[in-house]
Amino acid sequence: MDHHQIKKGMIDALPIVLGYLPVGVAFGLLARQAGLTYAEIGLMSLLVYAGASQFIAVEMILKGMAGLPILITTFLINLRHLLMSSTLSLYFQRNRPFILALLSAQLTDESFAMAMSNPSKIENQPQYLLALQSTSHLAWITGSVLGAFFGGLIHFQSYGIPFALPALFICLLLLQLRNLLHFYLMGIAGTLSILFKSFLPGNWYLILTALITSGLGIALERRVCPLKGLPKGGTGKE
Amino acid sequence: MGIVTFLPRFFPMVFLSRWALPEKIKKGLEYFPISILSSIVFPLFFFNGEGRMEIQPHLLLSSIPVFLFAWKVKSLWGSVLLGMAIYWGLGWIF
Repeated sequence: MDHHQIKKGMIDALPIVLGYLPVGVAFGLLARQAGLTYAEIGLMSLLVYAGASQFIAVEMILKGMAGLPILITTFLINLRHLLMSSTLSLYFQRNRPFILALLSAQLTDESFAMAMSNPSKIENQPQYLLALQSTSHLAWITGSVLGAFFGGLIHFQSYGIPFALPALFICLLLLQLRNLLHFYLMGIAGTLSILFKSFLPGNWYLILTALITSGLGIALERRVCPLKGLPKGGTGKE
Repeated sequence: MGIVTFLPRFFPMVFLSRWALPEKIKKGLEYFPISILSSIVFPLFFFNGEGRMEIQPHLLLSSIPVFLFAWKVKSLWGSVLLGMAIYWGLGWIF
């Protein structure tokens, strides 16, 4: 065990923890209101560990749906992890399947983005990523269970809680920008995702945008020469 | 549900880590983080919780200082706390 890596992973997970706790609490509260037991809520957060899917599952349970429709919806929502898991696989070429299974079971958008903000930290360092992911996962489970018990006491629209995860994603996105091509790709992906989301169901806009933008990235990289410096200050928003 | 969330996370990790991928695909995978993060972030400002198109002025306004701050300072904690504070503050104003 490499305690140094584990500690680093736990510390890097803290911004995610700040985002997951209140969302977990909100989930726990809603799930409780939908009639799930405390144990079911805890187990769902432990085993499913997928924010949007869990909220949607609870809503579907409320509407009296169960079983297959929930499974299919969940599967489609989480297909985007195919892309993230593919990307992460590049950094773990020499690890045992058991370790990879553990890593992949806890893959989320947030932990993926955090890991990719500095890939040199994760390259063949499964302990770092495991610590980062487990800390985030624990925050999610803790949040859900707390929410199930005490959720009624909190106003989720207060204290800027709805903006915690968006702010985290914005910063993680900007940390990815290292050359001019990246700026272009951000603009393209931003525009495409809004366009696709306006007419495609579910999460297909994410998958389609990611595939097209990455393809464009390959096509464009020879035309846009790597810049000496980044343009100053621009946020590249549409 | 646990199984269907696990499968898409698991398969690429285990199988792609065994195969040597062609360079082109590896290059494309490098652009996934930017693509995915952009498509998570930007639609947030233009769609409501039910997925219908509707500008979200609070989110949009709060995001501008966070974009600038994150770009200049590159601090995750700072961005999250600043974003929450501004969003909260905006709630008091209108």
